[in-house]
Order: sequence, then structure tokens, then C-alpha cells
Amino acid sequence: MADELTAEQVADAMYKMVADAQGQKKLKPMDLQKSMIEYFGGDRCDKKLCKAAIKELIESGRCVYTYFGGSFIELPHEEGAAKG
Amino acid sequence: MSQDAKKRVTDIGPPHYEKFLPEMVKKNYGKWLYHEILKPGVMVHVAESGDKLFTVRTGNPRLVSIHTIRDMCTLADKYSNGNLRFTSRNNIEFLLTDEANIDPLIADLKAMGFPVGGIGNAISNIVHTQGWVHCHSAATDASGIVKNVMDALCDKFESMSLPGKLRIALACCLNMCGAVHCSDIAILGVHRRPPRINHGILSNICEIPSVVASCPTAAIRPTTVNGKQSVEVNEDQCMFCANCFTVCPAMTLSDPLNDGVSIWVGGKVSNARHEPMFSKLAVPFIPNNPPYWPEVVETVSKLVELWAANAHKYERMGEWIERIGWPRFFELTGIEFQKEHIDDFKHAGLSFKRSAHLRF
Amino acid sequence: MSNTSGKTPKLDKLDKGPWPSFVKEIKRAAEKSPMSKDLLGQLELSYEEKIGHWKHGGIVGVFGYGGGVIGRYSDVPDKFPNVAHFHTMRVNMPSAWFYSTEALRKLCDIWEKHGSGLLNMHGSTGDIIFLGTVTDKLEPIFAELTEAGFDLGGSGSDVRTPSCCVGPARCEWACYDTLNLCYDLTMHYQDELHRPAFPYKFKFKCAGCPNDCVASVARADMSIIGTWKDGIQIDNGAVKEYADKGMNIQKDVCGNCPAKCMEWDGSTMAIDNSLCRRCMHCINVMPKALRPGKERGACIMIGSKAPIVEGALLSSVLVPFMKMEPPYEELKDLVEKMHDIWCEEGKNRERIGEFIQRVGLGNFLEAIEVEPSPYMVEHPRDNPYVFYEEYFEEGDEDEGEEEDE
Repeated sequence: MADELTAEQVADAMYKMVADAQGQKKLKPMDLQKSMIEYFGGDRCDKKLCKAAIKELIESGRCVYTYFGGSFIELPHEEGAAKG
Repeated sequence: MSQDAKKRVTDIGPPHYEKFLPEMVKKNYGKWLYHEILKPGVMVHVAESGDKLFTVRTGNPRLVSIHTIRDMCTLADKYSNGNLRFTSRNNIEFLLTDEANIDPLIADLKAMGFPVGGIGNAISNIVHTQGWVHCHSAATDASGIVKNVMDALCDKFESMSLPGKLRIALACCLNMCGAVHCSDIAILGVHRRPPRINHGILSNICEIPSVVASCPTAAIRPTTVNGKQSVEVNEDQCMFCANCFTVCPAMTLSDPLNDGVSIWVGGKVSNARHEPMFSKLAVPFIPNNPPYWPEVVETVSKLVELWAANAHKYERMGEWIERIGWPRFFELTGIEFQKEHIDDFKHAGLSFKRSAHLRF
Repeated sequence: MSNTSGKTPKLDKLDKGPWPSFVKEIKRAAEKSPMSKDLLGQLELSYEEKIGHWKHGGIVGVFGYGGGVIGRYSDVPDKFPNVAHFHTMRVNMPSAWFYSTEALRKLCDIWEKHGSGLLNMHGSTGDIIFLGTVTDKLEPIFAELTEAGFDLGGSGSDVRTPSCCVGPARCEWACYDTLNLCYDLTMHYQDELHRPAFPYKFKFKCAGCPNDCVASVARADMSIIGTWKDGIQIDNGAVKEYADKGMNIQKDVCGNCPAKCMEWDGSTMAIDNSLCRRCMHCINVMPKALRPGKERGACIMIGSKAPIVEGALLSSVLVPFMKMEPPYEELKDLVEKMHDIWCEEGKNRERIGEFIQRVGLGNFLEAIEVEPSPYMVEHPRDNPYVFYEEYFEEGDEDEGEEEDE
């Protein structure tokens, strides 16, 4: 059996995905979940683990939730509207 | 953001409601027998135990200062053992166990400028949105129109002179945070100018595929303007829903000349007698005319008066119109029936008259 | 009352009149709060120019949550620097909006210290709306709120703050405990409420009877509307009392019955409960004489929403009758299946009602493992274009028989 996948590992992979997409495409939590399950395989990575990974990703401060007509996960940045 | 101080508490949810229930409510929870309306804005609920709980309902501008909330707390401490609640239409209710406190409480409320009413066959408070006070997509102000309409109809809040219930709601744009679409009378802010696109910043702050995908009528296409990626709008296909603006702030619809309000009638959510119904378009457009919005107030008042004079007992606005028919409604109100009244979005045909049942 | 130094002639016209004035409220807050003073100034500008002056933010929030804070910025910050940043916080209200004055005062104190001193009691979804604060204050406010036992409500693509009617706390018509279900759902979905993971928002509204005082049929993705299965309880003596007091029972009560299933002969009220539509009219009119039946529960309806994006919808019946008792497992199982398929296949900004319209109610039912029922439709389809998914080839007649299993 393959070694146990941790939420931290999934969070790291999610972070890379968000960082790569920044400025190109806003990702939703469900986009991350689907990609992770595909990437790691459904036998190692499930919905629950992805949920924990997203929590880890946000609570570590590496990513933030944003809202533009829908909710997304992005790298922290100053928002356009705040710039006067 | 430093997090090393003390542990943050999260996900505790709201306080448990039991903490805030009056003693008499706790005792008779789920064991109420019946209620009676004693006079405008006052009702009594009688429990199986024989206990009586008196409710006094007052209006509330919804947008309130902490000072007014504290004043209400002072009244609640004085008259209702510190118990009060708010209703789904933003009224404030004092829950009294001592009948003798009703009139002194009403006197104090009136002295503060708060009318008592909104129960039974009356107009209740107007559910409304933020408007120019706090919203980025508002096509009109909410609080201002509500204040003017309620000033004009306040006697119908404070009495029970209407045939049935009257529910008015206001939403300051088609997003309808106020979900006004099932109200006896809905006042709805509308934009009428297609989005003005800020090509200089659009591609920096918005994802073009998301903007394109946001349009329900597929009127938005990617394009290049002055060497910058942007979008263009087929204005003939724009129905001013502002969905693109919600997704992309570089597509502004607000416009002083073209923004205003529309008036919709005949919706309801209750199942009593007739099933729930959507409100239907009565007046497509009235320009914004602050601070009094006299044309809006006049239109709404006239609709209320016509309904009050013609409806049967208990009949809601929509039930009345259904009984007399739309041609008669337009005749009575003097509202001109125009092209805009005929639906042309999805399922439009379902609202065409598909029978020869015609009243002349 | 003292007012602001800036002149606001247009708004001043609205601080009189019989209905309580929001202008008076802003001015009251402005006595102590420079933010509220600038809010008044900016609003006056809007009244002059007939246009709003706010920009929508999309990032600010409290740490770890993706909902509960709405970023708001002035587009004329040079003129009104105190509202340059003017964010909204949504505070989850207690079930049915009951408060003690102690709790309300505590909320006022927190908001006086950290914000504009203006609030909405309440917002459209039901939350307490704190109107206007700056980014740096969000964490201190949140810390003080949680210490006082309050938490933030929903915003964005999450479970929105559930709300309920007054229910059994003060209504004889409540067919289930709306306050308890509302609280239970709110607590059960804390993660989904604070950490948006859906295609779009999802609202629960709990109404105790078909009068639907929380407008759930129009405003909730899941409308849980109390109803009963057995017959209306009748107290003929009390009916007679209403008649003696002048009520025209035949006209006002029986005449308004949509099912025409009641009769009153002057001494006895007869109801054909097999035809009764549970509309509430007769009960509303004679609360002393008629009551909902004893076998109570709720009708589960799904899918209502305001127009954005594809047009407004009313909720429609999913489960005509379900017992509503803690821990509400049957309901939660159903919700989980609905969320699963909607999250899996829903498009960005697609409410569950629109999702169902797109994929078809029949397919949706299959996905959530609910059997189709005539209770779900106004009438069966009247168009013959059926999307059959399978067909037989010559020689595989046996296939059909296995389905009996």
C-alpha cells in the first residue's frame, strides 16, 4: 500500500496549483478538490482530505478566500477596490 | 496577521436561542392554543396553560443606530422583562406578560416616533436592501424610497382598514438581495444603459472567460481594444441584469440618467387561499427623483387605494387582479400597457394569454 | 439633535414624517462616529447625483473564514476619507431573532467601539448587519463577538445563515420546531457556512406552517415548510362563537377555501380533509376554532431564488411530508446528497434551482436517490420529447426482467 497522504502534502500541491494559476484563472475549492483527487488518485485522496487541506492552506496564511460573484481561493494580495 | 497571541475561537455559531426566550415562552413552548388581535399592533397569544403573552409590534427603519437599539432595550427592560424580538419584516416586537404595560409602552414608542401596527389586515414594514447607503450595484436608494412610501402609508400600518395583508418590498437592483419577486407590491431598481467598459483596466482586474460566461444572453465577446485584451457587448442583447458587473467591476451599469425604479404587483409567498405567486410588471420605469421620489410614492399609493377599494375581504393584490383580469387592472390604474410588459426571456410564451376567456 | 458640519439639505428633508427616519439614525450615529458623518455626506452626494458611490471588495475577511465580511470602499475617498474603507460584517442572529437586552447592549458596545455605530436589524437573509468598519478592526471585532457568544454569518458561495419563523416559541400553528431546526442546521453546517466550497450560495429557511412567514418558498434553496397529514382539528363551539360575533362563516371561510372542501350548516363544520390543500386560510381566519392536525411535519421544497442569473424561481416539492425531529438525519442525508451532485456538476454561480432546471429534475432525483412522485409536479409533462437513456436491441429481451430485483 502506498504511504499515507497527509493534508499538508495535499495543501502543498494545492498551493502550487493556486500559485501557477494566479492572474490567469481564479480557482474554486471544488476545482482544487477535483484536481487533487485526479492527481493523487481517488484511493489516496478524498473529499474529506481535500477539505482538511484547504483549511490548512487558508489557516497557514498561504492562501485567502476571495469573492468575485462567487468564492475563490487565491494568493493574498491587496485588492483593486482598496486602491482608491 | 499575527496569530500567536491567544487561541482564536471559531465556528461557535450563534448563541442558543433558549438563552433569549422569555420565561413564559419557555414554559409554553409549542403549547400555544390560539391568538387574538386586540387592536392595531397588539396581539395576545393564549397557551394551553392559560398563560397570556402580549405582543406589541412597532415599525423600524431597519437601518438603525446603536443608540436607538439601546433605547429599545430601555423600553424592553421597563415593560417586557428585557425581552424583545425582531420579525422577518424588520419590525420590533415587545413580549409582555402584564397587560397593563401595553398602553404605557405604546405611548413611549409613539413619543419616540415609532408607530405601532403592522398586524392583521395592514401594511407591514417594507423589506428592503441597502441602496446608495451601502451597495455598489444599486440603481436607486432603498431607505429613501421606503421612508417616503411608509410616510404616505403609515396610517395603513397603524390601522387594520385594508381588505387583506399588504406586503411591499424594495430591491435596489435586479440582483434582488431583498428577493422582492413575490410581493403584493415590489419596487425594483433598474438599470437601462448597457455596461460602460473600462478597457484600460478590465484585463488587469477581471478574467475575460468568466466575464464572457457571466452573460445569460451571450451578449459579451472577447476583443482587443488599443492593444489590450478586453470584451465587447452586443447592446441589442443586453437586458441590464448586471451579472457581468458582479463578476467584473470594470463593467459599470449605474447611470444617473437611465437608472430608476420599476413597480411590480400581485405576488405572494403565503399559501393561504391562492398558491404563492410571482409579482408581475405594472410600471416599467420611473426615474429617480430624490429626496421624495414623488412619482413612486404616488404610484404605490394609488395601487394600494385601488386594491383597498375593490378587493374582497382577505383578497391579496394578486388574487384581486386575477379575479378582475389584467386588462381591467390596467384600465383602473390608468397605467399604459407597453411592449415592456410582455415577457421576452425564457419561457415567455407561458405568460401569453392562451385562451378565449376574456372579460369585456 | 445636533448634526454634521457638512450640509445635507436633501437628506434633511427625510428626517421628518410619521415613519421612523433612517436619516435621523445616521445623524444620531454621526454625533459620535466620523464614519457615520462621512456616510451621510456621501449619501447626500448620491442624492444630488442620482448614483451610488461604493465599490465592492472581494478579499477582506476574518482569518480563516471565507464568509461573513463584505468589503466596501468609497469611490470618492478624497471627499469622504472616513468611509474610504467601510466594510460590512454579518453576525449570525439567534433563531427567530429573540434577544435579551443584555445581549443587544453587548453587540451595541462592540460596534460602538470598533465601527460606525450603524447596523441593520436585520439583513435580507436574517443576519445582524454591522455597517461600516475598516480592515484592521475585523479581527478585534471578531474576537469580541466570539467572546460574547456570537459568530459571523455566511456570504459568498457557502451555506448562508439559516433563518426561521417565530415557530413554537409564540405561534400555535408551528408544525415543527423551527427554532431548533434552524439552530441545528446552523451548527451542523458551520464549516460550510464559514468556508465557501459550493458553486454558489445555499440558503435554508424554516417556516412552521404554509403561511411561510420567512418567505422560504421564494427565498431559500431549501424551503422547509411545516404542514400536517391528518385532518384539521375543529372546535365547533368556537366556530359558532365566531359566527355569533358576526363572521360570515359560509362566505369568509368556506367561500375562500381553494379546495371548496368545507361546509358549515350553522352548528357543525365539516371538512373533507382528503381534498384539503393545507393552505391555512380557514385556520388563519378562525385561530380559536381550527388548528392544524396532530400528525405534523414538513414539506421539503427546493430551488427558489431571485433572478440573478437565469431568472427567478419558486421552490418546488421534493419531499411532500417528512417528520421533523432531532437529530434530523433524514433531512441531512438528503442535503448531503444534493450538495454532492451540485458541487460535482454545478457551474460557477449556478444555484441549485438553476442546476436542476439545466440537468432536469428527473436526473437530479436519480442522483440523490429520491423516487419521482406526482406530488412534485403541477401536472405530468405535456411535451412528448422524452430523453430516454436506453433502448433494446434485437435479442436482449431478458434485460427487462432483471429489473424486478
